[in-house]
Amino acid sequence: MRRLLPLVAVVALMAVFGFAVYSVLGTLKSTRHEFSKPTLTQALIDLSGTVVVVQNGDIYSLTNLKFTQIKAPAMDWVQVAPAPDGDILAVAYSSSYSNVYLLNPQGQIVRQLLSESSTQYFGNHWAYYPRVSPSGSTLFYVSDWLCQSASCGGVYNVDFQIQAVPFANPAVSPVVWSEAGLYFQGGDVQPIPLANGGIIYAKYAIDGATGATYAQLVYVSSPYANPVALTLPAQDCAEPALSPNGTEIAMVCTNNSLQSTTLQVASWNGTTLGTPVQISAGPLPASPTWSPNGKSVLYLNTLLTDKSSPFQLWWIPRATSPKPGAPQQVTEDLNFTATSPPIWTA
Amino acid sequence: MPAGTRPRRRRAGLKSHQASFSWGRHRVLVAALLVFGFGLSGVSGVVAYFLPAISAALNITGQHPQGNSKSPAASPSVTAAPAPNQPFNVLLLGSDNDAKFRYGVLAQTMILVRINPQTKSVVMFSIPRDLWVPIGNGGASAKIDAAYSDGGAAEAISTVENNFGVSINYWVWIGLGGLVQLVNDLHDVNIVAQMPILDDEYPYDLTGNNPYLQARIAILPGPQRVGGVAALEYVRSRHGDVLSDIARSQKQQQLLLDIKASAGDETVADVPSIASSLGDSVKTDMSISQVGSLLTLARAFSDGNVHQVVMTGEPYFASGYVGSQSVLLPHFAAIDALIAQYFPTS
Repeated sequence: MRRLLPLVAVVALMAVFGFAVYSVLGTLKSTRHEFSKPTLTQALIDLSGTVVVVQNGDIYSLTNLKFTQIKAPAMDWVQVAPAPDGDILAVAYSSSYSNVYLLNPQGQIVRQLLSESSTQYFGNHWAYYPRVSPSGSTLFYVSDWLCQSASCGGVYNVDFQIQAVPFANPAVSPVVWSEAGLYFQGGDVQPIPLANGGIIYAKYAIDGATGATYAQLVYVSSPYANPVALTLPAQDCAEPALSPNGTEIAMVCTNNSLQSTTLQVASWNGTTLGTPVQISAGPLPASPTWSPNGKSVLYLNTLLTDKSSPFQLWWIPRATSPKPGAPQQVTEDLNFTATSPPIWTA
Repeated sequence: MPAGTRPRRRRAGLKSHQASFSWGRHRVLVAALLVFGFGLSGVSGVVAYFLPAISAALNITGQHPQGNSKSPAASPSVTAAPAPNQPFNVLLLGSDNDAKFRYGVLAQTMILVRINPQTKSVVMFSIPRDLWVPIGNGGASAKIDAAYSDGGAAEAISTVENNFGVSINYWVWIGLGGLVQLVNDLHDVNIVAQMPILDDEYPYDLTGNNPYLQARIAILPGPQRVGGVAALEYVRSRHGDVLSDIARSQKQQQLLLDIKASAGDETVADVPSIASSLGDSVKTDMSISQVGSLLTLARAFSDGNVHQVVMTGEPYFASGYVGSQSVLLPHFAAIDALIAQYFPTS
C-alpha cells in the first residue's frame, strides 16, 4: 500500500495540474471592456465644482475626485440636464415612452414635469433632451408627437420635434417650435435655449441623391420661424453646447464618417458661427459641456487607443484661443451614457 | 534458524527488488512517464476548456449549403476554395429565425463581401432584399430574399451568382439571436447612430410566443455604447426611416465594422464562451481553420481599407409593383458596372 502512495500523489498532482491549466485559461479572457461602478473608483483629475453623469441607468455626482450615487428612485435614468437652484432635469426611460422629472441634488423627485405614458399604444411618447431657458421660465424638450396633417398620414410620422412648455406649469399644451417636416428623417433634437429667446438645435435630414444622413445646427428665433443653418450638411454636426457667456459653441461632427467623430468649437455672435476649430480628433467624442468659467470643455470619449472601449470623461483645459489644450482623461474603467451630456456646476 | 533471519532475507530481497527499480536505472522511463502524465492532464485541461468551442465550431462550420426545401435549384453551387492569398468572396446572410415563416426564413440581409488578403482590403456590397430577380438557376422571378427561404444557402448563392456574376467561395448565415448574443459576448459595441430612430412598428419577436407583436423603440443619435438588443434594434428598424431597407443596409455594414473593432482584441480564451453562446444562430460552410484564418486576417484590416457599397436607388433600381407586391426592379447595366468596379476578377 505504501508503494502506491507516491503513485496516487503523482496522479492527484496531475489532476490538479489539469484543473490549473483549465483555470488559468479562464483568467486569460479579455477584460478590457469590463467596467466598475463609479463609486468604487476615483477620478484621475480634480475638476473644480461638481459634475453629474449617468451610467447604466443611475445618476452619479463627482466632487473632489470622488463619485457619489444620487439616490434617485429606481428608474432607468438615461439623461440629465441642469435646472435652476442646483436641481437636475432627468429623463427616465421605460418601454415605449420616456418621462422627464425634476430632481433635487439628493435625487428626490421634486415633481414630474412631463408624463408621456398612455393606456393607448400610439398615445405613448418619447421625451428627451430637456433644457430650461436662461430666464428659467420655459422648458424645452423633444418629443415624437404624431403629425396631424393629411399630408403625412399621422400614424408613422414619429420624427422628433422641439416643443416648449412653461417650466412652472408643464401640463399645458406644448408650443411646437419645430415641426420636423422632413418625414422619416429623424427630425429635430438637442435644443439649446438662448438668452435672446431663440434656440439652437440639431436638425437631421437625408440627402435624397446620395442617401447620406446628416445633421446641421440651426437657429430659430421663434416658434415656426424659418430655421437658419449654422453648419453645412457635409460637416454633419450635432450635440451643441453653448458656453456660459454665450459666445462659443462646442459641437460633435462626423464629417460623414460612420465610425468616428470630432469635437469642434466655433465662435457664436448670436446669428452666425465662426470657423470651427477641432479640439479633439477622436475616436468618438460625444456630449460636450462647458466648465462653469467657460474656459474648458468636458465631454465623453472612448480611450484614444481603443475606440471600442466604454465611454469615459475627458477634459480639454483650454478649449479656445490661442491654442486648444490636449485632451486629458478624467476617469477610467467606467461606462458613462454617451448620449447624456454631463452637468458641470461651480 | 535464529528468529528474524527470514525478515532480514525479506528486507534483503526487498532491497534487491528496489534496487532493480531504482531511480538510477529507470530515470528516463519515470521522467518520461511523468512528463507524459502531466502533459496529458494539461491537454485534458485545455480540451475541457475549449470543449464548448470545439462542439460549437463543429456545429457551426463545414455546413453543406443545402436548403430548406427540395427545390431542384438548390444544388450546392459554392465555388471552390480560393488559392492561398487570393481574393475571395463571402455571401453573408442574415434573417429572422422566428415563427412567422412556416416554410422557411427569408434572408432579410444579403451582403456580398470581397476580401483581398494581399491588399488587406474589404468590399461590402449590400443587396436589397426586395430586388426582383430570377431565383436560383433561371427560376421564376421573386424578391431575392425568397431564395434563402426556398432553397437555403445553396439557392441564395446560385441566385446571387447568376444575377450578379460574382463567384461565391463561402457563405455565412447569422440569425437575430446570434447577432444579439455576439454583441453581448463582446461586452457591447460602440456605434455612431446616424440619426434619431423612432419606430412604432418594430417587431417584438425575440421573446414570447407571438412573432407578430410590435414595440415602440427610440434610439438617440450620435456616439453611444449599445448591447445586443439595442444593436439589433439599430440595424433592424426601418419604419421611421424614409430610406427603409436601404438605411438598414447601411447600418448593417456599419455594425459589422463596429463588431470587428470590438472583437479585435478578444483573446483565444474568449472563444469558448462566444462560440457556445452562438449555438444554432450561426452557420457557415467554412472549415474551422478557414474561420481562424479569416479572423486573423480581419485584425489586419483598417477601416480605411473597407469599402461600403449600398445601392440607394436610381440608377441601380426603381421602385415598382409586381401584382400587389412592392418590389425593386433592377437596372442591371448600372449594377453590372458597379460589380465590375468592386469585384473585378469575378
